[in-house]
Amino acid sequence: MAMRQTPLTCSGHTRPVVDLAFSGITPYGYFLISACKDGKPMLRQGDTGDWIGTFLGHKGAVWGATLNNEATKAATAAADFTAKVWDAVTGDEVLTLAHKHIVKSVNFTQDSNCLLTGGNDKVLRIYDLSKPEAEPQEIAGHTSAIKKALWCNNDQQILSAADDKTVRLWDKNTKEAVKTLSFDASVSSMEYIPDGEILVITYGRTIAFYKAHSLDLIKTVDAPASIHSASLHPEKDFFVAGGDDFKLYKYDYTTKEEMESYKGHFGPIHCVRFSPDGELYASGSEDGTLRLWQTAVGKTYGLWKCVLPEELSSENSEVLYCPPAEIKA
Amino acid sequence: MKTPVSVLRLPRGPDPNSRGFDPSSPRFLALCPTSVPSSSSSSSDEEEQRLRAELRERFLRTLLLMTGKRVRFDMHEHVRVHARFGASDIDVLNLQVSDLETPLGVQREALLRCQDVIACSFEV
Repeated sequence: MAMRQTPLTCSGHTRPVVDLAFSGITPYGYFLISACKDGKPMLRQGDTGDWIGTFLGHKGAVWGATLNNEATKAATAAADFTAKVWDAVTGDEVLTLAHKHIVKSVNFTQDSNCLLTGGNDKVLRIYDLSKPEAEPQEIAGHTSAIKKALWCNNDQQILSAADDKTVRLWDKNTKEAVKTLSFDASVSSMEYIPDGEILVITYGRTIAFYKAHSLDLIKTVDAPASIHSASLHPEKDFFVAGGDDFKLYKYDYTTKEEMESYKGHFGPIHCVRFSPDGELYASGSEDGTLRLWQTAVGKTYGLWKCVLPEELSSENSEVLYCPPAEIKA
Repeated sequence: MKTPVSVLRLPRGPDPNSRGFDPSSPRFLALCPTSVPSSSSSSSDEEEQRLRAELRERFLRTLLLMTGKRVRFDMHEHVRVHARFGASDIDVLNLQVSDLETPLGVQREALLRCQDVIACSFEV
């Protein structure tokens, strides 16, 4: 029996949610951090969406947020010209890294020892977190604001996407650009999948997949509306995308066919990411909410419960929240 | 029409009274250094906390004393202005003042950004 997706809405932010990131799988489950224009990034339990804490300290919109694999550290990039590193267990601010302009993107290396930042001053910076007072290494080259910067290839290379409509692959040691991709439109998002070395890029209505080492194109898929973010499932069987029309699209990665589309958000979708176990994906929207969506609709996982028809009318069933049936217009 | 998937409950939202990161959660207890410090560091921590509390109290009392008085604000870029101090906001980000004397004239009501203020002085 086919079931209808029930997204879980995580409220709490008061302005658009512009970025989100999952941690790896830890002994305490996995976690989710959301960046918001209200300046207060939040940490949530990844499989339930339950709020854990809010990182207080930024004095401007937070444009980027990330967690290290163990979810012990968080980093945020903000319009107050700083990137901050936080203890993700206590919520305390650990480090403030001053920049010369709005910071848009932050990314930890696998060992959490280095932090990569990028923003409106067009320069990539690498901070050694064991020596925070030391000057960061800088990589210049982009001619417009950097939107996203990611470590790749075992943290030996860096991928950056900027408003100059290029995506560049840099060598961390030589600081030279190894390869540059040029587009007709600004790249709206970028995701790097280490296992399989795949890069997911979105621009215009297109979701494109590249090999991360060579930046060779694997395939592209066009969506019905302008797409702001896309994410590939860890097993690489599906990908999800969302953008201007407020809907979330789910595609079969192999056949490129659209499988499903989901309404729910009340504003454009800015970011979407699969959880590390692939069981759900999270979307952040202009409407100020995060929503969690099941990959396998109807499966028992997190707060979703697979209920057989007999159980729904049984007096012994646990208290279940059944969303009211929506009437389709 | 398809049946919607049932849900045990909705995700918990933020606590309006705290920033979270519950110190009694299993993860916090396992990953944070023990909250029972050795006796020597404890006494210096307590001393520091006591001094901080004292300084904070003095600061807050100064703000109270300043209310209604004519205060001189020394600000960045060699700006020096006089105004009647009204109040500060809870995070001490803005100061509400009246009759602010500026080179362009007297501003009846104004907000001064605290990050621009270097020092303020007034007659007790």
